[in-house]
Amino acid sequence: MLILQQLISGLMIGGIYVMVAVAFTLTIGMLNFLNFTIPALFMLAGMSAWGLTTLGIHWAAALLGGVVIATLASLIVERFTYRYMRVRYGDATEHALPLVSSLGFLIVFEHLVLIALGSDPQRFPTPFTSSDVHIGPLIIGIPQLVSLFLSLVIVYGLSQMLKHSRVGRALRSIAENPDASTLMGVNVNYIVPVVFIITGVMAGLAGMLFTVNYGDVSAYMGDNVATKAIAGMVIGGLGNIWGAIAGGLIVGLTEVMAIHFFGADIVKIPIWGLLLLILVIRPTGLFGHTTIGKGKF
Amino acid sequence: MTEKILNIDMLSKSFSGLRVVEEVSFDITKGSRTALIGPNGAGKTTVFNLISGIYTVDDGQITLDGIDITDMPERQRVNCGVSRSFQNIRLMPHLSAIENVMLGQHSRARSVGHLMFPLGWVPGNRWARRAAEALGEAGLDTHAGEVVANLPYGVQKRIEVVRALMPEPKVLMLDEPAAGLNEKETEELQILLEKASEQGVTLLVVEHDMQFVRNLCDHVVVLNFGKKIFEGAPSVVNRDAAVREAYLGTDYVDAA
Amino acid sequence: MSGYWAGILAILCFNIVVAYSVFLPAASGQLNLGAAGFVAIGAYTSGYLSTDVGLAMWLTIPLAALVTGAVAFLMSFPILRTRGVYMVLATFAFAEIVQGVYINLEVFGAAAGYPVDAYAGLGVIAPVALGVVVVSFFIMSTRFGLSMRAVHDDERVAALFGVNVRMTQVTAFTLGGLVAGIGGAIWAHQFNYVEIQNFNVMLSIFVLLYVLIGGTQTAFGPLVGALFFTLVPEVLRVSNDWRFVFFGVMIVMMMVLRPEGIVTRTMTERVTALLTFRRGTAAKP
Repeated sequence: MLILQQLISGLMIGGIYVMVAVAFTLTIGMLNFLNFTIPALFMLAGMSAWGLTTLGIHWAAALLGGVVIATLASLIVERFTYRYMRVRYGDATEHALPLVSSLGFLIVFEHLVLIALGSDPQRFPTPFTSSDVHIGPLIIGIPQLVSLFLSLVIVYGLSQMLKHSRVGRALRSIAENPDASTLMGVNVNYIVPVVFIITGVMAGLAGMLFTVNYGDVSAYMGDNVATKAIAGMVIGGLGNIWGAIAGGLIVGLTEVMAIHFFGADIVKIPIWGLLLLILVIRPTGLFGHTTIGKGKF
Repeated sequence: MTEKILNIDMLSKSFSGLRVVEEVSFDITKGSRTALIGPNGAGKTTVFNLISGIYTVDDGQITLDGIDITDMPERQRVNCGVSRSFQNIRLMPHLSAIENVMLGQHSRARSVGHLMFPLGWVPGNRWARRAAEALGEAGLDTHAGEVVANLPYGVQKRIEVVRALMPEPKVLMLDEPAAGLNEKETEELQILLEKASEQGVTLLVVEHDMQFVRNLCDHVVVLNFGKKIFEGAPSVVNRDAAVREAYLGTDYVDAA
Repeated sequence: MSGYWAGILAILCFNIVVAYSVFLPAASGQLNLGAAGFVAIGAYTSGYLSTDVGLAMWLTIPLAALVTGAVAFLMSFPILRTRGVYMVLATFAFAEIVQGVYINLEVFGAAAGYPVDAYAGLGVIAPVALGVVVVSFFIMSTRFGLSMRAVHDDERVAALFGVNVRMTQVTAFTLGGLVAGIGGAIWAHQFNYVEIQNFNVMLSIFVLLYVLIGGTQTAFGPLVGALFFTLVPEVLRVSNDWRFVFFGVMIVMMMVLRPEGIVTRTMTERVTALLTFRRGTAAKP
């Protein structure tokens, strides 16, 4: 029974990883760009939400504010990274430019938060601390259940949007062939920011859900999630949204089970060993779906 | 001297079911200057890519100076004596002109001793001198130290040719070397290639500039839709019906 | 020299060495986001050889380099099968694995850390760093260095001119590991303590960033990058966090304005021409 309880915790945290993993995989698939700012957006949402509550703002508004701030930050990143990507020579270092810029922004955001709000972990005043559902001997937190449900709904909605809406089609065509898309009338300068907005919203919502469920926020909360979300993305295959969902859940489960059985620190070795193996042998991930876009950087 | 230096025998290549090169056969005589022409999409660059090893052959055989290079890894083919330039300039953009040319020497300097020699610290070394001379012969030595990305198109194109000559190849394949060059540059290119030919290099040139072909080459092979449709002297190529049809379309052929 | 500046100089030497460990693979087109992993191996190896085996530093440092180089050589086989973002992730994964391994190994003190006997002051560290710089310049001046840069620009065409691309990449990656091992050894002997927490993702990120800021086209780049990263914060007398904000902003601006980095091949050519009073660019590799 304890195992089942652990499995459930794993799924819960996995649900949050899913959203961040999807943000990563979407950006890679659509824009060929490994966006390292995403964990910072996650952290910004949580920390600014906390910061807002210290200003006396109601917790719900603060959470929403957090998401908004994360999205705005994402748009700033777009303005100063992707828009300047000019592939002149196509060599290895050049493809890394947006990635490097995103690392720059990661550093800026993390340290700005450290300056503004300090390095101590904080407690977000969540009102949901003791609403649990008891099914037999199992305890399931209602907020966790809601957020798992929410993340799956949001991601499902996203994939539907990509498949059926005009914006979605435009995004997919840019991923396949940016030049042809421009010729066909897709306004790249309007559409690309959409990806960044989606990224900001997803990372921000993930941060918000994490804050509501676990209550602890700190300037470093992004770092932990980053590695797990990247792991989820790799497992699912770069660019594959459904893969990222599965990957995020798998990582959540593996993390909880490994901590339960082996202790926290040893977890890294098998997870990253597995990832290295996947990257080398089967870069399209465990689910083998062909990824959209060239997936180079 | 009718010794054959390059034999292409029933060469075929398809991409996703589309037959790009279909049973192409021709021989190149040692010391000759052959032009490979045909409308766009005829498969000329693909033939070059098959000979240099960028694409693998579906069917057929390529023999260079008696050696079957059909399945040879691309890296080793330059040691057998084939070198080339590219349709879209493929110089190393971040290297200077002379560095690009010196890269061409690599196949002649592969030993560990050569690899470890500090070329950059011994300014008068023979490799740099040889490369500088080569650039000088092509009239390009004023640009030697400049990073090629900053150089004009016409200069870059000719540097590519100089680089391709560095391995001292038996067969030099040039993919549209005159494309985009003005009259003076084309003339200089022609002089450079004639010099190379006199020194024994066999030339195989893809070109659209028919004047250039007539001035330089003594033999022409025409491709259309992946097949060879004509082979012969430049003076008669434009009288052949199949060639006229390929370039002008059926309506115009009978009007001749 | 005051103790404070001696400390800064020691850090500078470390930063320079680690910069070259990332530069050498980067110059041949390989982006390494796992430098911390290799540096950790060098640090623990030299520390262990010093404390538990009792070897002197003139042995521990080269041995640490060799061990790290060997690991890099072995890792090059899987890692060089990847390209682009996959390589970035693969090297990142490697560094995470190294962290995971060391944090669990009791023989190296696990999470508590590992003490190192022999102390290396500037008198040892500076010459070592200088040696790394000189050797790196040497490598880049050779035909091998030329083929490295050719592979960076265009693997395919380099192969067509006879370059053994695979060998070049494996060698560059291995050299990177060797130099990282030296860097780790410097750290271990300077601070006389090795904690795996110091060799984390941020270290890998910072090194990669300042190497790219310096420029990967010439051997001057990593030197400039390391100087920039170490000394500019000293010039800006602001808090630690603001220094990092400045660094991050600089990176973003550099990628927008001058993505090739501060030192480019064109720049070294122009400077050489200026210094030798040449008119125009004459023949010099």
